[in-house]
Amino acid sequence: MRRYLLPLIAGLVLGGIVHIVTTLAMPQLALDNAFTRLAKLGPANNVQFVPDPTPLNAVLPRTDPAFVTAVCRYNLDAGVLKLRVPTTADYTSVSFYTRNGLAFYSLNDHAAGQRTIELQLMTPSQRAALPEDEEITRADRLIVESPTLEGVVLVRAFVREPGNRTRVRERIANVSCAPEG
Amino acid sequence: MRVVAIALAMLVGILSGLGLTWFASAGAIGFGSVRIGAWTAWPKSGTPEADPYSRAMYARTGELPLGSTDGIAFLAASDDDGSPLNGRCDIHIKGRLPVARFWTLTVYDAQGRLIENAANRYGFTSAEVLWKPDANVEIVLAPRARSGNWIPTGGREHISAVFRFYDAPTGLGGRSANTVEMPAVWQELCS
Repeated sequence: MRRYLLPLIAGLVLGGIVHIVTTLAMPQLALDNAFTRLAKLGPANNVQFVPDPTPLNAVLPRTDPAFVTAVCRYNLDAGVLKLRVPTTADYTSVSFYTRNGLAFYSLNDHAAGQRTIELQLMTPSQRAALPEDEEITRADRLIVESPTLEGVVLVRAFVREPGNRTRVRERIANVSCAPEG
Repeated sequence: MRVVAIALAMLVGILSGLGLTWFASAGAIGFGSVRIGAWTAWPKSGTPEADPYSRAMYARTGELPLGSTDGIAFLAASDDDGSPLNGRCDIHIKGRLPVARFWTLTVYDAQGRLIENAANRYGFTSAEVLWKPDANVEIVLAPRARSGNWIPTGGREHISAVFRFYDAPTGLGGRSANTVEMPAVWQELCS
């Protein structure tokens, strides 16, 4: 029995390492992650509706059915992205995720306090390259820094009662997301 | 002999390591989570400080966590006694709810899909639900239609319920979570 003790201990240490490495690598390695699923809806730097979830079909699991959801999958290679989100009569939120699903920023209509949420999405280096005089007016605009080149912007609008869905959808149809210039 | 020892070490290592990751990414490890009665939340999951376990968990399911300014989700897959939620029972959810601008409650099957039913009802929003006079709410998840706040379960054996509180105060799900009240969950009349 004793001669198996050492390999067993070595095995458990190795197990710990395997566990840590696989856990950390999971967001990169997961084949069917949210980014891949949303990529099937349409091209990057464009707005698409995420179809309302049904029992037979949902783009993302455990979606809240009380929302109308639109997505803009982005790639900042083309430059700074300009995002315009008209808020609805009820709750509207904008959430930003990296390609690997890390939620790096979110805001809602209350926090924005405007009828239309307007913001620019850019990488840290694109922000550093902004001309000086534009920095001065920075207070007027909202700049969101993306830690990665690719990611996902999720626009979600609450449907208080099923009868409101069409109206909320019409409003969200006006969301725009496109490279600046 | 040495070959056997090395092979044993490798086998134990790979199996225990992958096994642990599999369990952890299924949400079985409570790391980074807040538990209130039957309900579990991962408050940091919607922030850049999300821990590796919750990130692995979301990557595995393909779900996106709610952004922290958006809301916080509390999931229950078992009742207050720890028995898995069974869609063939009458599942009662009753009590006070945390303060938020509004909330939704949604019922899912084991794969995170909505459950098909004739009423096309998958949950409630705080605007739709019938409140009790004392600001409590009682919702019943059951296979057959009934009066009051009823959500169909389709008789599925394993279901989960998710409460989402939107535009909630930042304390909710944070360190002060032990002051947060979540409703009781119990099951009866299983068929």
